[in-house]
Amino acid sequence: MDGISNGLGFGGASDPKAAVMNQVRQEAAMANARQLIEKVNEHCFDKCVPKPGSSLSSSETTCFTSCMEKYMQAWNTVSRQYITRIQQENSKGAAGGGMF
Amino acid sequence: MDSPSSSLDQNLDLSKLSPKDKQELQQFVVNESQKARIQQTVHSLTDVCWRKCVTGTIRSGKLEKNEEACAQNCVDRFLDANLLVIKHLDSMRNSQ
Repeated sequence: MDGISNGLGFGGASDPKAAVMNQVRQEAAMANARQLIEKVNEHCFDKCVPKPGSSLSSSETTCFTSCMEKYMQAWNTVSRQYITRIQQENSKGAAGGGMF
Repeated sequence: MDSPSSSLDQNLDLSKLSPKDKQELQQFVVNESQKARIQQTVHSLTDVCWRKCVTGTIRSGKLEKNEEACAQNCVDRFLDANLLVIKHLDSMRNSQ
């Protein structure tokens, strides 16, 4: 699955399988990024710009930078915890599953 | 219509794929879908748990110790609650 770097979209016609895989990967990555941007903007705007002024102040900008880093750290923490939980539930056996 | 996807679609002739390739591709799509579903859940869990756990002002780019612990508990309790709902619905269905 990994390891074959077919230089971004080249060889689409000669290797349709790799082209489809690339397309799917790219679209998944885009959807993921879009979702993250939307959430970061929503939550950090909430935290950092309580009263919108005529422009973003430098303290608001600094706050946004910190907030972004913090949100991504939270994302990673949640992701780790969720995956640990899925693995636990799966090893308990399929009974009462439905985690996925 | 000259978007990358449509030009890709035109170049693709999936009927030329060998059965082995087709199967590999199918498996790949199944895996990617599962990955996307998990990522989607992580997005919504982060949304919920950020609201619950990050209540103060942003002081630094790092999660405070207590916020991190809160986020971990938040994930586990949310999933507990999820299972509880499913179990309860199940018992309602069985008692009918």
